[in-house]
Amino acid sequence: MRILKAAAVALLLQTGISTFAQAQALNANPLSDVRVRQAIAYAIDRNLIVESVFGGYAVPADGLLPNGPFKSPNLDAYPYDPEKAKALLAEAGWDSSRTLEMVYYYDDQITADLMAVLQAQLADVGINMTYGLIVGDVAKTLNSIPEDPKGKSVVTWDMAYGARAAMVMQEYFNDYATGKASADGFPGSPELDALIAESNTATDPEAAKATLMKIDEFINANAITLPLYYQQLQSVESTRLDRHGEPYGNDQFNYDWNVHNWTVTPDADGKAILYTNGAPLDYFEQPWVNLGLWAGNKFIWAHMLGSKPFLDGITGGDLAETYEMSEDGKTLTFTMREGTKWHDGEAITVDDVTFSLEFALKTPNLQGVLASVFNSIEGAAEYVAGTAEHVSGISSDGNTVTIKFTKPNANTLISFTQWGPFPKKYFEGVDPTLVQQAEFWQKPIGSGPFKVEEAKFGDFSSFVPFDDYYEGKPKIDQIIAWSSSDGDVNMVKNASANRIDFAVTKVVSDIEAIKALDFMRLTPLDIPYTRMVWFNQYDK
Amino acid sequence: MLTYIIRRVLIIVPMAIGISFLIYLALDLSPGDAVTRMLNPVQTVDPERIEELRRALGLDAPLLVRYWIWFSGVLQGNFGRTLTGGVPISRILMERLPATLELSTIALVLSSIFGAILGTISALRRGTTTDNVLTVAGMIGVSIPEFFFGLVAIVIFALNLQWLPVGGRLLPSYDSYWDHIPNLIMPSLVLSIMMTAGVMRYARAAMLDALSREFIKTARSKGLPEWRVNLLHGFRVALTPVVVLIGFRLPILIGGSVIVEQVFQWPGLGNLFVLSVRNKDLPTVMTIALLSVVLVLVVSLVIDILTAIIDPRVRLGGD
Repeated sequence: MRILKAAAVALLLQTGISTFAQAQALNANPLSDVRVRQAIAYAIDRNLIVESVFGGYAVPADGLLPNGPFKSPNLDAYPYDPEKAKALLAEAGWDSSRTLEMVYYYDDQITADLMAVLQAQLADVGINMTYGLIVGDVAKTLNSIPEDPKGKSVVTWDMAYGARAAMVMQEYFNDYATGKASADGFPGSPELDALIAESNTATDPEAAKATLMKIDEFINANAITLPLYYQQLQSVESTRLDRHGEPYGNDQFNYDWNVHNWTVTPDADGKAILYTNGAPLDYFEQPWVNLGLWAGNKFIWAHMLGSKPFLDGITGGDLAETYEMSEDGKTLTFTMREGTKWHDGEAITVDDVTFSLEFALKTPNLQGVLASVFNSIEGAAEYVAGTAEHVSGISSDGNTVTIKFTKPNANTLISFTQWGPFPKKYFEGVDPTLVQQAEFWQKPIGSGPFKVEEAKFGDFSSFVPFDDYYEGKPKIDQIIAWSSSDGDVNMVKNASANRIDFAVTKVVSDIEAIKALDFMRLTPLDIPYTRMVWFNQYDK
Repeated sequence: MLTYIIRRVLIIVPMAIGISFLIYLALDLSPGDAVTRMLNPVQTVDPERIEELRRALGLDAPLLVRYWIWFSGVLQGNFGRTLTGGVPISRILMERLPATLELSTIALVLSSIFGAILGTISALRRGTTTDNVLTVAGMIGVSIPEFFFGLVAIVIFALNLQWLPVGGRLLPSYDSYWDHIPNLIMPSLVLSIMMTAGVMRYARAAMLDALSREFIKTARSKGLPEWRVNLLHGFRVALTPVVVLIGFRLPILIGGSVIVEQVFQWPGLGNLFVLSVRNKDLPTVMTIALLSVVLVLVVSLVIDILTAIIDPRVRLGGD
């Protein structure tokens, strides 16, 4: 039945593409004309950008989905062709006195360089472009849309440059749904809405993959968004570190990286200390927001299930020993592992899980995929609205937890590879809205292979092995993490001074500098991270 | 003089309130708030949840109400909590202040002593090789940005010679206060040298100015020994502008040196200030700013008093 439905959607899409792609401007905004958007796509030389601006440490993009199993063979690469761009602009009646406003939110030099290149390349085909960094409420500036999809745009920008780092492929497209406040600037279409819905409910991975490819083709054919390049993540490691064959993966998320099996060469005192960065500057960020972004959180927290390295499947249980998903994809049962403990020595119980699930529903910035899955639990809406004391779809019996969903979701299982419970006793009485402001985050009590020994915020955090970790005590004696934010400017300096054994970076200048150090090695990781230009197609 | 001091102390209070309000206003007028800083720009979040967070943090209240809540707390000795992490600001101050104080105190003391001495020598040796070398060194010192000087020092002393740590202040293995002295040497010396250059140039100019005055000629004509003329008459007068300069550098005791702290990953108030501004964490920014404001006002009073003591020509409050 599901396959039939997917086929029907695909058929609908074929019709949708042929009619939609022939459409002219939808409104007075020239960017609502597909020919103008395609002209911009042809005017930009992505190969040149990757080579000159990013030093070759990126991959030119043709679709939003990354290269690999989800890549459709039917995408138009819009190869650099300024003459074709000019012809399309002429056909669309482009007013060359018009200036397009590009906005972006990265305050680094490389983005400023990229903007200058884009400006020059668009100028070559007769498009004037100004650009500026968004200051203040970035989310509001990017994501505000009119209530009526045919209404006037509520933002001034014409194009926006940004990125999507996806945990699951659906994340690339969910924001394109009609009426969804987002940065894509696309007023929506019934064809795309149907496909998006299908991609989210398909529990058959192959059917989901086919639908995701169709969405990418739809966006590509109509140049709704212009993908520029795929950013690789580089794993930075010292030669002191031995991962013992444990896998590389998407280090911005959680996967079975088995850090407890890693070793480092002991120092003169015989102590095996691993140095890294990413320790918090003023508090540990609660791990349901940016999932595996911070190394510290990856050391501290275990999750319900384990994930394959690039989040393309489940490896098995983590805190839950086993799990069972019903045929209809609407009932998930976890059987908790016996003998797991929190870092304070207390047992991890089903109560911690059920409490944390309910608590998560009321936290302010639960990661998007998790929020989508958790909000589809039966009774979640009533609980969040305050009309029910508990979520009716969450129950426990002995050491099992059962979760009933109102609808199947393609990402239910993968969500639980990124989510683990909090110890209930520390959060009783804590307002979920102010979860991040709880004292707990000064020295969290976690469930992962390492526990926090000491946190000198702004200086370092120290982690030591958790003796009772269910997979065995880690082999490294201590982890010292230097305090830093994302894109740490001090990483290279610390690496040069033998103070980094493990880190990840996407910064081109860092990569170049690390390459010059013979005691460091780089491993490029193809993660789902696409940088793109969104077109504001709303009427202006 | 006592009346003057009392009057000035009384003026400090409304001035501190006025300045702190202006800072609060300026920060509030800049776009966004602490909640917008907590969000991933491209992740759409339920707006209701976000508004709830804003309400819970008290960010939905009018400007004056928020300012009053913060200020009345300060009057009771309660600086509040950080918006992003809910940490008591007084605790953060206690953690960060020692780091900033040890760094900036060393820099202030060393730069004041060496700056004044070298500037005086330079003036007394005017036109000689010593003067030229010191003048060029001073020019270089004030011209090179702190971050560049810091990075060069790191490359030489931490990476090449490996004499000193590359940055940071403490480590879990540091058992006593003295363990971290190697970490302190480079940032404090970099800051000291940069500040010394400024003081030296100021002291030289002030000394040259003083030495050209009539009373110096008079002293010389009285047959006083040269060292006495230079040090007791010239240096005493030349010290006045130098004291003013040093005095107005005292606020770095609170604010820290933002650049040096960043370059050396020094966990002081300067780093905290930058982080808080970035996070639009108003209570934290305001607390550091208020302490700096009060310090500037107090220092300006102390400078006036010191100037009157050093320079007999100065009379306070028309006394």
